[in-house]
Amino acid sequence: MLLAVPLLLGMSVLIFALMRLVPGDPAVAVLGYKATPEGIRALREAFHLDEPVPQQYLRWLGAAARGDLGHDFRQNEPIGRMILDRLPVTLELTLLAALCTTLIGVPLGLLAGGRRGGAADRAALAVGLVGVSIPDFWLGIMLILGLSLGAGLLPSGGWVPFAESPMDNLIHLTLPALTLAVSRAAVLGRLTRAAVLDIMHRSFVQYARAKGLGERAILFRHVLPNAAIPIVTVVGLQVGYMLGGAIVVEMIFTLPGLGRMTMDAVLERNYPVVQSAVLVIGAMFMLVNLATDVLYGVIDPRARRR
Amino acid sequence: MSRPALRRVRPAGHGGVTIAGLLLVVALGLTALLASHVVPGSPTDIAKDRALRPPTWTQPFGMDDLGRSILSRVVHAYRVSLGVAVASVALALLVGVPLGLVAGYAEGALDQLIMRPLDVLMSFPAILLAIALTSVFGTGVLLVALSLAVVYTPIVARVVRAAILAVKVEVYVDGARALGAPVPRLVLRHILPNAATPVLVQASVLMAIAILVEAALSFLGVGVRPPTPSLGLMLADGRGFMLQAPWMVIFPGLAIMAAVLGFNMVADGLRDWLDPQQAADR
Repeated sequence: MLLAVPLLLGMSVLIFALMRLVPGDPAVAVLGYKATPEGIRALREAFHLDEPVPQQYLRWLGAAARGDLGHDFRQNEPIGRMILDRLPVTLELTLLAALCTTLIGVPLGLLAGGRRGGAADRAALAVGLVGVSIPDFWLGIMLILGLSLGAGLLPSGGWVPFAESPMDNLIHLTLPALTLAVSRAAVLGRLTRAAVLDIMHRSFVQYARAKGLGERAILFRHVLPNAAIPIVTVVGLQVGYMLGGAIVVEMIFTLPGLGRMTMDAVLERNYPVVQSAVLVIGAMFMLVNLATDVLYGVIDPRARRR
Repeated sequence: MSRPALRRVRPAGHGGVTIAGLLLVVALGLTALLASHVVPGSPTDIAKDRALRPPTWTQPFGMDDLGRSILSRVVHAYRVSLGVAVASVALALLVGVPLGLVAGYAEGALDQLIMRPLDVLMSFPAILLAIALTSVFGTGVLLVALSLAVVYTPIVARVVRAAILAVKVEVYVDGARALGAPVPRLVLRHILPNAATPVLVQASVLMAIAILVEAALSFLGVGVRPPTPSLGLMLADGRGFMLQAPWMVIFPGLAIMAAVLGFNMVADGLRDWLDPQQAADR
């Protein structure tokens, strides 16, 4: 876990440097055609834009470490507050999508791997290959077209907080979570299949079979627990990737999450918000990956010794 | 049910997938290259009287809101899609392979010096980093390709480094060294060719991802700029007409999927072909 600190520092330097490379004066970009020399000076002072760059960086980092991410250029809202308001949406979306991924991907892989070369295996392989290749933003549009505009089954966008109405909240998140899950489920299915096939050849499975155990019992009692290690690792990595995928999905389904906030800030050139949002999403991505590594050791005692 | 003793070394039926993938990729590539010769009509001709016309035999993908041929736009958009993908992957290989090579061969301090900054780049989700880069450096075909190359370089470098670390301890490398082969010759003749397999597979996977990410960036409005036909932009435009003209969103999406599928199939096939032992398990 100690690795997280230098990585986070590196990430903050990178983002900060990147945002300082924006062509033109950010003050002018914000104030636009209404810019007066006084206005520009006031804004530069308020956001410490006239200090030397290393000093600006340290000021930002120091404040960020205390949980103060500064204020945005436009509404002068505290950015930390903005992020906290939107975080639950993205987290709920990601967790639901991870659940869908597991519920679709693992059975798909078991079905395919349990009978190698059979009809189910071929079908699952084909589904997996196509699933991996579907652009998720297109899938989202197709789901809206078919299930919400066409059949009128589910809402095409919008957000209801869980505390307000848990049912409505889930209904609004079903399509976004599915959109995010399908291609990841395909990846997980392929991986589960490979893991199952690998374990099927181990001697303890041969022994169980020799003992006269049924195929079903072998699959669930001997193969699945051993396949859990790669499965959990991949699900963990995918939760990380979903944080990136959530940006697109939140834009399509108009969910007020972190990804949408980032995208809106990018499009209106609200650089302080972009800077903090990218750092927060990046940090979450990295921490999820590290947590996956740790979890790997917890599930598989053999990995700890290495 | 399979028993180890009877396992085939080569998986049956996989060659077909590879060939189909290759054919798909080649066909799409040729279509993109010969764009204006293979489709009827220009991708930019506006004709209000043909606006939102559904698919017909002569225009199988229908017309968009400005009466432009969607088939013609899709074919021209492939130029951008594949062009960006090829350019970004080529650039990532050009920078990433030498970096990974040096890091893997040297190890120690030089390895750390090269790989730590690349780890930082890899600590962001790819699409987020690409968005951040295009938001700073600007949009357009060239800048999107550059941004993607920045995102991919660390991935390539890491794959190359891992392959080099595995290959350089082989006996034949020791042998060549003992015979007095100079380092450049050792690396270029004995180590690099044997580390090429994972790099080729990775390049094919990156092509597929590049097509997806370019489309996503353009869809979000931070990729290719409007007059240039792009599959992502077409999807973004089509969303407003989804109910009257579903063909405006269906065909560009299918087009993206076909290209991505092609490269994924090639990657799968390459992996099996170059690594038959593992393929038997796949």
